[in-house]
Amino acid sequence: MTAQVVLAATLGLLFALGTFLVLRRDVVRVVWGVSIISQAANVYLITMGGLSGGAPIGSFGEGAPPTDPLVQALVLTAIVIGFGTTALALVLTYRVYEEHGTIDTHALAEADPDRASADGGTANRAVTATHDGPLDTETTDDRMTHGGDER
Amino acid sequence: MLETVLAVVFLPFVGAALTPLVYRVLGERTAYYAAAVAAVCLGLVTRLYLTGAHGVAAVEWVPSLGVSLAFYVDGLALLISFLASGVGVLILTYSGGYMHGEPGQAKYYATLLAFMGSMLGVALAGDLFALFTFWELTSLSSFLLIGHYTSEADSQYAARKSMLITVAGGLFMLVGFLLLSWAGDTTLIAGEGSLTANAGGVIETLRTAGLFVPTLLLLAVGAATKSAQVPFHVWLPNAMEAPTPVSAFLHSATMVKAGVYLVGRFRPFFLSETAGGHGAAAAEAAAALVPEWTVVFATLGLVTMTVAAVLAVGSTDIKQLLAYSTASHLGLIVAAFGIANSYGAEGGAFHILNHASFKAALFLVAGIVAHEAGTRRIDRLSGLRHDLPVTAIVAAVASLSMAGVPPFNGFYSKELLFEATYEYAHEIGGLTWAFPVVAVLGSVFTFLYSIKFLSLFLGERDEALGHVHSPPLSMLAPPAVLAVVVGVVSLDPMIAVNAIVGEVYGSTVPGEAHSFTVGLPTALKPAVVMSAVTIGVGALAWPQYDRIHDGVRSALRGPVRADWWYDNAVAGLTALSKRVVPRVQNGLVRTYAAWVLVGASALAVGGYVAAGVELPALAVPAETTVAVSVVLAVAVVGAIAVTDAPSHVAGVLTLSILGFMVAVFYVLADAPDLALTQLTVETLVLVIFLLVLDRLPAWYGETDRLTAVRDAAVAGAVGLTVAGTVLVSTAASPDTIAEGLIARAGLPPGEHVGLFTDYGGGQNIVNVILVDLRAFDTMGEISVVAMAALSVLTLIRMRERGEAQ
Repeated sequence: MTAQVVLAATLGLLFALGTFLVLRRDVVRVVWGVSIISQAANVYLITMGGLSGGAPIGSFGEGAPPTDPLVQALVLTAIVIGFGTTALALVLTYRVYEEHGTIDTHALAEADPDRASADGGTANRAVTATHDGPLDTETTDDRMTHGGDER
Repeated sequence: MLETVLAVVFLPFVGAALTPLVYRVLGERTAYYAAAVAAVCLGLVTRLYLTGAHGVAAVEWVPSLGVSLAFYVDGLALLISFLASGVGVLILTYSGGYMHGEPGQAKYYATLLAFMGSMLGVALAGDLFALFTFWELTSLSSFLLIGHYTSEADSQYAARKSMLITVAGGLFMLVGFLLLSWAGDTTLIAGEGSLTANAGGVIETLRTAGLFVPTLLLLAVGAATKSAQVPFHVWLPNAMEAPTPVSAFLHSATMVKAGVYLVGRFRPFFLSETAGGHGAAAAEAAAALVPEWTVVFATLGLVTMTVAAVLAVGSTDIKQLLAYSTASHLGLIVAAFGIANSYGAEGGAFHILNHASFKAALFLVAGIVAHEAGTRRIDRLSGLRHDLPVTAIVAAVASLSMAGVPPFNGFYSKELLFEATYEYAHEIGGLTWAFPVVAVLGSVFTFLYSIKFLSLFLGERDEALGHVHSPPLSMLAPPAVLAVVVGVVSLDPMIAVNAIVGEVYGSTVPGEAHSFTVGLPTALKPAVVMSAVTIGVGALAWPQYDRIHDGVRSALRGPVRADWWYDNAVAGLTALSKRVVPRVQNGLVRTYAAWVLVGASALAVGGYVAAGVELPALAVPAETTVAVSVVLAVAVVGAIAVTDAPSHVAGVLTLSILGFMVAVFYVLADAPDLALTQLTVETLVLVIFLLVLDRLPAWYGETDRLTAVRDAAVAGAVGLTVAGTVLVSTAASPDTIAEGLIARAGLPPGEHVGLFTDYGGGQNIVNVILVDLRAFDTMGEISVVAMAALSVLTLIRMRERGEAQ
């Protein structure tokens, strides 16, 4: 089997799985999906630089040229940025759960007053406790206590 | 010369930027500050005129694209500049009285000055892209000024309408410009080495490519939308929602002249094949065919002239009447420029000046009437000469000129149009005889509405009108000055011809221009007969004015009105987007993601198909070792486990498997820095996930089978596209960028060892790139992470401190 086919199959599968996760109702899974897709994109970029050649460190001089350092620099930036994005997305998820008591995107969309009333935006943003999944008692209590200082 | 031109164009912008400050100090007297800025511009234009500086002056603008900010000074440019700055002085002075006590004055004067700068830019632009930029700036300032009364629905509608039509037209023109610059390999419009100078070759290229007529039509759309030609005239009557000084300035004297200017500017280019002239040889050459130019612009102009004149007769509001009349007279100028003989160019050139003088005066008169009498309804106004004697004299001079009655100046230019149409029809024969007939028909209606405007001042005073104030001097002087201009040109048209119109004419004909003379007719020429017919029929029809007026109004129903088309098109588009948007943006993350991902895949696949990319043969020698294959396989297994995870915690742990496998992959791919970073980040992410998951509900969302199948289809499509892209792109890997860099450094072979060590002072090239070559990127990256950290902190702390929502 050639290199290309392995890579193409791997990246195709990773993107497909990531996409499938992004389309889920559970916000945490959406974050996973984004994370998988960005990992796959990084791998793709690295393969573009070629997998042969030594590490671009030190006096590699006389022999074969090293692998492309520029893509590595790009991907290094991408990994760090991806870390920032994932962390922010997770905390946002947490915050959404605190505000709305659910992390089900369907329930969130229904609770959105901008969507519910077509004229948009004048109704008070009501906190709804719509959730169609099981909540363990601890988090329910958590929601209750935070709901208390809501008004 | 260059300094003067730059000063003329950019001084108004500087003045506009300073206006808010000046307004704080001067208050309502800002009008006179703005007028002073305009007066300085007028002085600079006069200086340009007196020094006789002509030709191209350029500064580099976007050197990498070969775009220069080139200006071109000639008769046409000077005339439009005189109008923009000269009428500007009068209008800004007049505004001092008119805008007394109105809201938003700082914005008003700043926008008017910015408009004046843009209009001067249009007039003096020597480069296609400079012309386009200033052209759109005039549309923008027009939008702001029409919508001056921001809270009124009518103003909003009018401003949006003018913006939609003129900016859309400008985009058509831009495409035309792109074709021209492609064919001519230059963006200069006139002067040395320009499109016009090489017209023959450029037109040849365009014709060979079959793009000559499309280019002509694209420019025509730009000119027609800006100059309110039928069927794009609909925005002009609505634009009367603007304060009257704006109507007088933008929507009669200057901005709407931009379209006419475009026609005049490109006339020598498009007519270079059939260089017009009085000579027999030229006539024969011209007789060979009616050039496309004439078909397009003579027809467009004459139709507009007539239709708009009829609509003006049907108007009930004085400003509306003047708006339609403006469209009609612009049609006259376009028609004159459209006719491929020298009379046409003479008539067009002369009428630009005449129309600006009498129509701006009439608008200012209309402003006085509306301001002092408190109404603009034609049927409620009469006998105004008793209350407004000076205004009445101005109105009489200007409206008789508009009617084309000798010896007023409007007569001379209309006579030239008649002469042009008649001579042209006489030469060519056939269908072109429609030109003079339509010209006379349109002029009859012009005569009728002009007399109607004049009649507001005649007859008995309507007692219902109430007390009419006298206008302040600042409002009376500007129209009086314009009336004096009309009077002087009327008494001796040769003053205007010698001063500037002759030169304008020279700018609008291909090849050498001859001198021309105008004056009262001394012999019974066909054009004189046409004028006599116009005035005679007009006078006979005058007693029936009210019946014609009612007839026009009752005929204007449904699809006959161009407004009907505009309103229905806009309403239809609005309804369509109201139906489409909720489907694309319904508040569900999955919908947005699906559209974006499927859209991107479709674009990529579509691109491959369009470019005829084939999947490469799969016989490339293996680069991957078994180790890499195994690592990647484990990563995929990890991803599958994530997708199928029975709980959040299981999902996070399996996601880590994927992450660590990717780190191992980086090790195998000779990227030690990446592997280190990836390991650190993966560990951190795992910790954060576990911390957050502790606070989140355990599990959500059983997916029903149908949704799962649909999502799997989307995911499959995306996956296949990516797999295909990888196959296509990795087969064609270029030389590594490091090799390119080494090659560009131009070092002898074997000596590039020290390149990065010497250049960046480091052994690790990736590090050198990050902290040296792309240091700014890295700084941005650090800021992003810092911002993310701050956001995380804020999100959590805000909640804890009780600041909900």
